[in-house]
Amino acid sequence: MTEFNPTILAFCCNWCSYAGADLAGVNRLQMPPNVHVIRVMCSASVKPEYVFKAISQGIDGVLVLGCHIGDCHYLTGNHRTAKRIPVVKKILKDVGLDDKRVRLDWVSAAEGEKFQQVITEFVNEVKALGPNPLRGVRM
Amino acid sequence: MNDLTKRFSEIAFEERGADHLLLMVERHGNVGPVLISRGEDPGDARTDVPYQLVTILTNILPFMGKAKVALVCRRCDEKALAELAKRGIVDDASVVKIGLACSKEQVQRCRCSDCVPSKVDIGEPSEPCPEDALAAELTAMSTEDRAEFWKRQFRKCNKCFGCTVNCPVCFCDDCVLEERTYTPEEGIPPGQAFHLIRSFHLADKCVECGECERSCPADIPLLTLRKMVNRDMKDLFNYTSGDRERKSPLLTTLDDQPLEDDVHAC
Repeated sequence: MTEFNPTILAFCCNWCSYAGADLAGVNRLQMPPNVHVIRVMCSASVKPEYVFKAISQGIDGVLVLGCHIGDCHYLTGNHRTAKRIPVVKKILKDVGLDDKRVRLDWVSAAEGEKFQQVITEFVNEVKALGPNPLRGVRM
Repeated sequence: MNDLTKRFSEIAFEERGADHLLLMVERHGNVGPVLISRGEDPGDARTDVPYQLVTILTNILPFMGKAKVALVCRRCDEKALAELAKRGIVDDASVVKIGLACSKEQVQRCRCSDCVPSKVDIGEPSEPCPEDALAAELTAMSTEDRAEFWKRQFRKCNKCFGCTVNCPVCFCDDCVLEERTYTPEEGIPPGQAFHLIRSFHLADKCVECGECERSCPADIPLLTLRKMVNRDMKDLFNYTSGDRERKSPLLTTLDDQPLEDDVHAC
């Protein structure tokens, strides 16, 4: 059997995490290729709906990356995210999906290495969890 | 008109000076909500029919002008009103509450842990129910079993939107669940995202009235899911919905300062 290759979405905020990802690329840091990066203006514009929709359609993991608390371009955008994502994780847990499939982290524009580290860790974590039980379910 | 109707009218119109009264009545064998003015005879009042009159109130209040409407209010109605008033949907001053204590059977049916209104006018207060048996059972299950359970439950959903339409605290004019992005136009079931999104939207306002579960034609234990999410909110933010004074933790910053804009009020 071939190795399980998870499909992972990473929502990166335009001002910090996306620039951090860019830095990681410019520095040629190696990381697993399972991640699809989606640029959003702020981590707060990642509605919980997006995460639920992704998970219920069989995406194996969702990563939400934003600026560090206090550094948000929109001042309190990441506060909103910091409040929301724990609730999202709890709801997933309640319906029997592993809450490790969603992760919130802060990556600044200067942290290319942290971006690499977060991606590598998360991919390995999701690999260990196995495929999303909702993948392929006719719902 | 039975004694109960007389008592309700007396409290609403004589004691508290309301202009209209909203209550559940039985007439010609049919039970339904009615809005009456002073001196009108609506039929026999019923208090054993569980129905959230707040849902109706929020729909009619915009057309009532400055009139004061009295409402037969269970504890859950009262909490729903607090949630709506907090978000500016309903004006506290235009609603007169008549406290109704739920009967023992009703409390058992809702597995209600907070069933006594702040002021009891009608009925005898009953003992609250300690916990939801199904929620406890699900929490004790393994993750895979729980996923299997909910997968089977959500597969029964036939996208009737009964849970949304009858919910007393669902107040958005444009519901995200009606967007085709989240709920496909064709085909049932609508997918698990439907229920997960609804759970999130109600996380900071669900008052556990159980109307979603009662109106569900597929018998999905939605109230159990709501109770589980509410318990999570309690664990995470020590927040219980129905508190008039405390702002929802999802609408404040990490230092409990209000966010400048409440764009995502729902």
